[in-house]
Amino acid sequence: MIRALSLIVALGLTACSAEKAPQSASAEPSFAPLKEPLGQIVAMRRLTEAQYRNSIADIFGSDIRVAGRFEPIVRPVHELIATGATSSTISPAGLEQFDAMARAIAAQIFDADHRAQFMDCAPRDAAVPDPDCAARILVPMGRYLFRRPMTQEEVAAYVMMAGKATESSGSFHKGMELALAAMLVSPHFLYVVESAEPDPESPGGLRLDNLARASRLSFLLWNTTPNDALLKAAEQGQLTDPVQLAAIAQRMVRSPRLEDGVRAFFADMLLFEKFDEMAKDQIVYPRFNPDVASALSEQMLRMIVDQLVTQKGDYRDLFTTRRTFINRALGPLYQAKVTSTQGWVPYEFAPGDDRAGLLGQAGFLALYAHSGRSSPTLRGRAIRELLLCQPVPNPPGNVNFTAVQDVTSTAMPTARMRLNAHNSDPVCAACHKITDPLGLPLEKFDGIGAFRRQENGAPIDTAGLFEGVAFQGNVGLGKALAASKSTTECVAGRAFQYATGRVPEDDGALAGGIEQDFAKDGYRIASLFLRVATMPQAYRIAATPLVAPQIAMTTRTGVHP
Amino acid sequence: MIVYRIAALCAASFLAPIAQAQALPAPPANGELGFVFTHFAPAIYQGERDCPDGLAATLRDNYLQTQSPAERMRLLDKANEPELTKRWTGYAFGPNGTNICTHPALFDRPPQRIVQGKIAQGLDLDDGAATDSCSHEPFTSPAGQTGIDNQMWRAMGCVRTWRGVDGTGGDILRGLTQFLISGEHTQVLLLTGVDSLQDDPDVTVIYANSEDRAVVDSKQNFMPDASYTVVANAQHRNVLKGRIVGGVLMTDPTHIRLRQTWGQGSERDIRGKRTEYDMTRARLRLTFQPDGSLKGLVGGYQPIWDIMASASIGGEGAATTAGYDCAAMYAALKKLADGDRDPATGQCRRISSAMEAVAIPAFINDTPPATKVAQQ
Repeated sequence: MIRALSLIVALGLTACSAEKAPQSASAEPSFAPLKEPLGQIVAMRRLTEAQYRNSIADIFGSDIRVAGRFEPIVRPVHELIATGATSSTISPAGLEQFDAMARAIAAQIFDADHRAQFMDCAPRDAAVPDPDCAARILVPMGRYLFRRPMTQEEVAAYVMMAGKATESSGSFHKGMELALAAMLVSPHFLYVVESAEPDPESPGGLRLDNLARASRLSFLLWNTTPNDALLKAAEQGQLTDPVQLAAIAQRMVRSPRLEDGVRAFFADMLLFEKFDEMAKDQIVYPRFNPDVASALSEQMLRMIVDQLVTQKGDYRDLFTTRRTFINRALGPLYQAKVTSTQGWVPYEFAPGDDRAGLLGQAGFLALYAHSGRSSPTLRGRAIRELLLCQPVPNPPGNVNFTAVQDVTSTAMPTARMRLNAHNSDPVCAACHKITDPLGLPLEKFDGIGAFRRQENGAPIDTAGLFEGVAFQGNVGLGKALAASKSTTECVAGRAFQYATGRVPEDDGALAGGIEQDFAKDGYRIASLFLRVATMPQAYRIAATPLVAPQIAMTTRTGVHP
Repeated sequence: MIVYRIAALCAASFLAPIAQAQALPAPPANGELGFVFTHFAPAIYQGERDCPDGLAATLRDNYLQTQSPAERMRLLDKANEPELTKRWTGYAFGPNGTNICTHPALFDRPPQRIVQGKIAQGLDLDDGAATDSCSHEPFTSPAGQTGIDNQMWRAMGCVRTWRGVDGTGGDILRGLTQFLISGEHTQVLLLTGVDSLQDDPDVTVIYANSEDRAVVDSKQNFMPDASYTVVANAQHRNVLKGRIVGGVLMTDPTHIRLRQTWGQGSERDIRGKRTEYDMTRARLRLTFQPDGSLKGLVGGYQPIWDIMASASIGGEGAATTAGYDCAAMYAALKKLADGDRDPATGQCRRISSAMEAVAIPAFINDTPPATKVAQQ
């Protein structure tokens, strides 16, 4: 929190406590409004819900409640939410939600229990405006919220807003509350505004400036707002120096907070927003209770973080590892003994268990299934699109699904048989050849990811085929994916897109280059993140610069755009 | 009159060795089998001639019986219902703030109606004769076994909330199941040294509580294969010596204590109170089912107070809302008590009982008691 941590600024980026919150404003930089004009705005990326929550927690403390509905960011087809965020608008209804959240947050910051932590001064009279004191309080907050020092016009506008609200309410704190609430609905907070400067390496071109790089690093690696040390580094121009940028990124990648960045990346890459809308037929799957539903995504993320961050393991082994985590709610689904009453515990599947790897997790299996049955096609498509970056066309509108939907058929008791019948139509078969050989090996797991030996009393054939290699079951599928260059190229490309919010025109070549470095480092995720956090291409701006956002603000001299 | 035999048929199946045609699961490789109880409630048998004079009277009924016929008729007039309600609820209270359910021994009331039938579920707890018993009339089991000791059922079997109607047990069954689901009464079994589910002469049975809430599906049914951890309190971790005979798990008589928490409420609320199942000469007779579950009976002698623990904890609410005449209940239990005779007074302080039990497969994390060290 700003005040509480004001003494530890000097500890810098490597200090553990300094990593957990943005600390504070040391006097000079944070009190100085931005004298230079804002850089050329080249992109605006809307904060995700997690980034908003993390920012509030890091700036004001984890005891500040954030309650409200976040308007979702629309995911472009076959892309990331991170790329959707660059073109995401906020509807009037969505803004109302942000406004309600902002007012509730501001009310907490300036309530009697919290305000002392954030006020470096006391008003001369708590019932009348005190512009100096208001500025002393708002300027450091603005620096964290906008991820840059506020401009003089912004400071003047928010101080005046606080003053007018103080006059009408008769309370200095109410005035501060209103000013802070306004800052929290500013596009400069709700969007990461990326600004650029001329690129000396590329005459006529642009590159992200220092402050934009601070946000880029922080949201990419830690999924939160830049802390004081990072902002200070940006203010000192360190982040456009490749050597210093690499050193800072290196320290951030080594931080335990990398876990937050990795979680956010894979939640985006694997479409975890779909968990929020996942529903299962309670007649078919009575075991799928709310506790199970809420545990599935967390289990996958814990497995990913353990393999890639905690163990510093090879990304390819994510598809074959027998290590996962389990809690009491998931125990019955996995028919596994859970040794702890509370929380999550590590769990290792027995050698030969077909559960091994990310694709054997109930979360993946349930997410890519229908509400009342499994789906080799949905699972195969998800593997193709999400893990191999190979888009699969949508089915035509006039498909006859009768055969595949007849799940109680005695003549065709298994999904493989039903799909074979369905694929007698060559139009259907073209796409199913792409998806089904990757989904059918997972058929020993039902629509909620529970193991089954048979379907409708018939044995299940889990034969699969990928890149010309035949295999059996999930274990075989995991090994096939782990051996494929497409798997590592896909995650490498996704990491670049996630970092930059854009799909480069030379996506394939770029991903190939990143992948080569990824391979050299033994496919360690930290190396991949470090690479995309420091590669010059990630900071070069090819797009046409944007027009600065128009924000109407009342100032002493009138309405300031 | 229709005779409801559903419970009897169930009971018979609990105790009879299952047919060979129904294959039992293979014994576990490590010899360990865990279970969580999904049902643990008084064993109910609705015999045709059990309550020939009707069910046990409510407090309102018993109050009316104290009035003259003419006054009774007047009070039963609908117009006089408020007066009747005021008078019969007042009948629940004694001097100095006492009430009939919290302090039933202070109220001199005749015993409630008791079961007159000859058949009930249960086990032979005294092996025909016990030196510390009191005079009692044993039942015959639905399967024909004589010498069944279940005087709890004789005392309480005409209470509507126990007996139920039309082949369905009373509200107590649903209530006690809910306490199992909520984790307030969670009970688990851990069998070790199991070589066969058909016959094994030596099995160790840990019969214990767990603090864990049940893992249930969307219909509030227990899910098999959930994990539970045995309570750390060794008092509620009973280690029994058992054997499996013809697919029936039997344990030797011993003292079994299991915790009951009645809710998690505040101090002023009745919920949050703790009581026990405290059963002497207690034993298990549970039959392995083809689906891996266990069904059967748990029998033992319980303190007569424990039988009416929930009513007693309920206090005046149990009397004036549920309508229990706890004094009449207490008098019946005291009269029929058949265990733990007080040598000084000759009064038995415990009563034989049978609880119907169902347990499904679960993973049990045992918590062996820590080595005791000398304490000052």
